Amino acid sequence: MTVSVQRYLSAGVLTIWGVLLAHFYFSGRVASYLHPSFHLWTGISGIVLLFLAAGLLFLPRVEDPCCEPGCEHLHVQQTPVRSALASIVLVVPMLVAAAVSPDQFGAATVTNRGYIEKINDLPSYQPFAEPPLPTVDGSQAAIGTGDADASYLPKNDAGQIKAQTVDLLYAAEEPTMRADFENKEVELIGQFMPARADNAQGDRFSLVRMFVICCAADARPVAITVQMDKAQPVAEMSWVKVIGKASFPVESGRRVPLVLAESVTPCDPPEETFIY
Amino acid sequence: LDNPWFTFSFADFSYAFLSVLLEGVPFILIGTLLSGIIDEFLPSRVMVRFLPRNAFLGICLSGTMGLVFPMCECGVVPVIRRLISKGLPVSNAIAYMLAAPIVNPIVILSTYAAFRGQNAAEFTLMRVGMGFFVAVVVALAVHNLPLHSVLRRGVLSEVSAADGAVRAGGFSVRVGSALRVAVTDFLDVMVFFVLGVTVSALFSTSVNQELIMPLALNDWIATFSMMGFAAILSLCSTSDAFIAATFIAFPGVAKLAFLVFGPMFDLKLLFIYSAVFRKRFVAGLAVGLFVLIGLICVRLRILGL
Repeated sequence: MTVSVQRYLSAGVLTIWGVLLAHFYFSGRVASYLHPSFHLWTGISGIVLLFLAAGLLFLPRVEDPCCEPGCEHLHVQQTPVRSALASIVLVVPMLVAAAVSPDQFGAATVTNRGYIEKINDLPSYQPFAEPPLPTVDGSQAAIGTGDADASYLPKNDAGQIKAQTVDLLYAAEEPTMRADFENKEVELIGQFMPARADNAQGDRFSLVRMFVICCAADARPVAITVQMDKAQPVAEMSWVKVIGKASFPVESGRRVPLVLAESVTPCDPPEETFIY
Repeated sequence: LDNPWFTFSFADFSYAFLSVLLEGVPFILIGTLLSGIIDEFLPSRVMVRFLPRNAFLGICLSGTMGLVFPMCECGVVPVIRRLISKGLPVSNAIAYMLAAPIVNPIVILSTYAAFRGQNAAEFTLMRVGMGFFVAVVVALAVHNLPLHSVLRRGVLSEVSAADGAVRAGGFSVRVGSALRVAVTDFLDVMVFFVLGVTVSALFSTSVNQELIMPLALNDWIATFSMMGFAAILSLCSTSDAFIAATFIAFPGVAKLAFLVFGPMFDLKLLFIYSAVFRKRFVAGLAVGLFVLIGLICVRLRILGL
């Protein structure tokens, strides 16, 4: 393989990677894969790779003395077979994965990873120790104080609290926060998974959200249990909106969040599919 | 087990595979761009000139050189070979070679980012401190060895040869050369990264995590098995922290062992090291690093980490 062919091959690989990374960034698809703090880096990397590809083709070059016979320097990709194999390894899996990936995990991985059903198991969990921040007028905010209106919590047009699965896990652990949710109407959006345990009546399912630290590969399913009047024909890991009353019964010696659902309806994924 | 130990979903695998690639590429790219600039624009004599004459101090300083001249484990080997041939003591070169993939700003940044929410500052400090310590210990041991038992014959013959090479061409030509080095390093590293991510994604999506719980529960087994994973996965130190962070069930010391051992020795380095060092030395280095890092990490666990 000549040096020129090697150069074109490398530039081609860089171009494919650059275009793909730039596409993920500019199309917004990267949001389904990475924590927001990494999004911009993906876009920049795509553009830099495209510049590198152009530079490789158009910048002046000198003859490489290492191409002389007997050179012992380390050149991993100097042989034609290695170059071809390396290019295939670099391009094919990436393109296939980009074409096949559904931009979210399915039931198999969620089942393999197991649910986080106790807030203490959350990677970034910190005990509720700090006092609430003061409000604009200097008074103490109502966070976690059992405020009857729970006025600090976001609500939908019907006045129901817009909660996350992780909020209810925190509430199960923290008595003051629990009072903000207990017996109140809540609206939750999450992914449907059949209940794996404590479901003798067949009227429960798990509502799952993926908790991410850096990227989807480290995502952990955070789940709460939802109880409804009758089983719903919902596909595994499809998005549903649950409206119901939050409760925190003691089951198997542990206080758990349980939403008594009034309605379970299919919905579109939220703008942020992960929770952080 | 409540569920099968292995359930493969190609869609899930592709999703995890892509997410780690997207996350790791920027860090690898930064590292290889720097390596290209260093390779082309930094005269090796500069490093030799500023090293103290005292061997211990020289080794310690070499162990921190990655902070100024950051290199990943793949890129550092050709560089130390060139530095050795220009008169840098082998012990200093090994201290730099082992420490630079860990004690460098890119890796510090990526480790901190990957472990955010998991005592990131403490973990990053532990990784850097232990990487430096192990590199210095190994370099001090190598300092007492005769050169012919460390270096390959071809490399040994280069040691006495003076560096007469002069960089040719104008600025644009040298920029082009730096760019080509960066591209070569990037593609070389990415091949191993893609392979490593493949294994990692397969493991993290298909294997029932309940299965590895017994490994995670015993500190000794967890620590040494994580070093085994590091050797097999052969990840780049600029992005391995993101993969280590996904082994949530494992104790922190096992992840630490993964992150210190991996950049110093893995399957890809086995081949690359063999191009510079004698095979017996490479084997000894592998065993020595495995035992030393494993024992330190287990000891840290006993101390309460």
